[in-house]
Amino acid sequence: MPGEKEFNTFYEKELESLLVPLEAERKKIKKQGVTGFIFLGVAAVFFIFAVTETGTPAVVAAVAAFVTAIVFFVLFGLRKNKFTRNFKGIIVNRVIQFIDPSLKYNPRLSISKEDYMSSGLFVERPDRYTGDDYIEGMHGKTVFCFSELHTERQVNTDKSSHWETIFKGLFFIADFNKHFSGRTYVWREGRPQVNFLTRIFSSFASGLEKVKLESVEFEKRFTVYSSDQVEARYILTPSFMERVVRLQDRMGEEVSLSFVNTNIYVAIPIREALFEPSVFSANDFSRVEDFRTTLQIVYDIIDELKLNQRLWTKE
Amino acid sequence: MPVLIGILLLVSLLLVFLYNNLVRKKNAVENAFFSMDVMLKKRYDLIPQLVETVKGYMHHERELLSGLTELRQKVIQEQLPANEKVKLDNQINTVLQQVRVQFENYPELKASENFLRLQGAVNETEEQLAASRRYYNAAVNDYHNVLETFPSSLMASWAGMGRKEYFSIGEAEKGVPDLSIK
Repeated sequence: MPGEKEFNTFYEKELESLLVPLEAERKKIKKQGVTGFIFLGVAAVFFIFAVTETGTPAVVAAVAAFVTAIVFFVLFGLRKNKFTRNFKGIIVNRVIQFIDPSLKYNPRLSISKEDYMSSGLFVERPDRYTGDDYIEGMHGKTVFCFSELHTERQVNTDKSSHWETIFKGLFFIADFNKHFSGRTYVWREGRPQVNFLTRIFSSFASGLEKVKLESVEFEKRFTVYSSDQVEARYILTPSFMERVVRLQDRMGEEVSLSFVNTNIYVAIPIREALFEPSVFSANDFSRVEDFRTTLQIVYDIIDELKLNQRLWTKE
Repeated sequence: MPVLIGILLLVSLLLVFLYNNLVRKKNAVENAFFSMDVMLKKRYDLIPQLVETVKGYMHHERELLSGLTELRQKVIQEQLPANEKVKLDNQINTVLQQVRVQFENYPELKASENFLRLQGAVNETEEQLAASRRYYNAAVNDYHNVLETFPSSLMASWAGMGRKEYFSIGEAEKGVPDLSIK
């Protein structure tokens, strides 16, 4: 991965000039949004008039202002989407290609729901599944892919229903450096996805056993379940456990991992949207730098967990 | 009277539970020992190949290599008591370490493809072995916890169940074995 200096030169040489027309477009879109808000404000003022002094033409004015606001918002939304698509195609794509030309980037795709479910990191089937910015490639000897994901459940109360996030952030899959045939899950301590009841009733949890490991620090932070006690330890060697602890220190405590179908799955919750341009603030160097840092996270997972250190059977 | 029967029933249920739990833990230890044994066999199978490959290069370590072959002959004998096996295996560990250190002195050996492949196989087996040892120790630990806590300790002494030996995990084995293919 190119260093910071090279990235700075790349930004100055290639991106800065490309950002100028995009920035002009962004300002226009922002204006449209702001105008929408102004009309909404005006509509509110007229509405108050209409309520206090009934019978005045204020009602008509309020409705007119409100409709205008809606029109502006719709136009704003359409243009914003087009802008985002354009921005990703030009800027994000270029940043990714600069970091590694062999990376494949598709802003509209995401990790599939099947992969998400088979990771077992979140056992609950989501009611709403969205994601974008799918990237796949190879770092050293490790084939990987990742995307942004947002999965939600619908919660129905007596009067209304709302959405609750199950997971939002970066979802990463890579080919693991060792062979294994079972399933091993490393969930954050206190949040295991299996319990006494699911072990009896769900097919997911059947055959899973809790794995007690020697590392005190690791045990404090994670709960491990596996279908094979020996294999779990074959994957989670003492040094690997240390690396997972370090990974958690860097990525936040909600990080979880699983080892299924000879793959490693890592879910890193991140609140901000990844690889997204902003409409209301400038898309300058720091924004573009964010794209680079996101990619850096993925490379860090591979390096930190030493996924490139291959045993002979998985060269 | 019904109260008495109820209490008796409860006590006998408790006894059954305690006993079964003990047996389960003990079986887990045996199961773990078995899985370790499989790995050990795999390792012993690799030793003759290793000796065969390196002896053409390592002229000064003839004794070390023949010692290794001898140890292997002993350990693969059937009907060897478990603790004897452990002892022999520890010796094999030491000799293997010594042989490995010597590899460094033979650049032609390290360049040989046969050796590299074998070294890879040995490394992988060692990793699997380390994993099954750790599982064995965890199972023993689990078993001891049940064995030595009240009231199952009473049940254990009544059933004549005793402590199991831990496998010592050497410092060198705790980490990932050195992969000379870097």
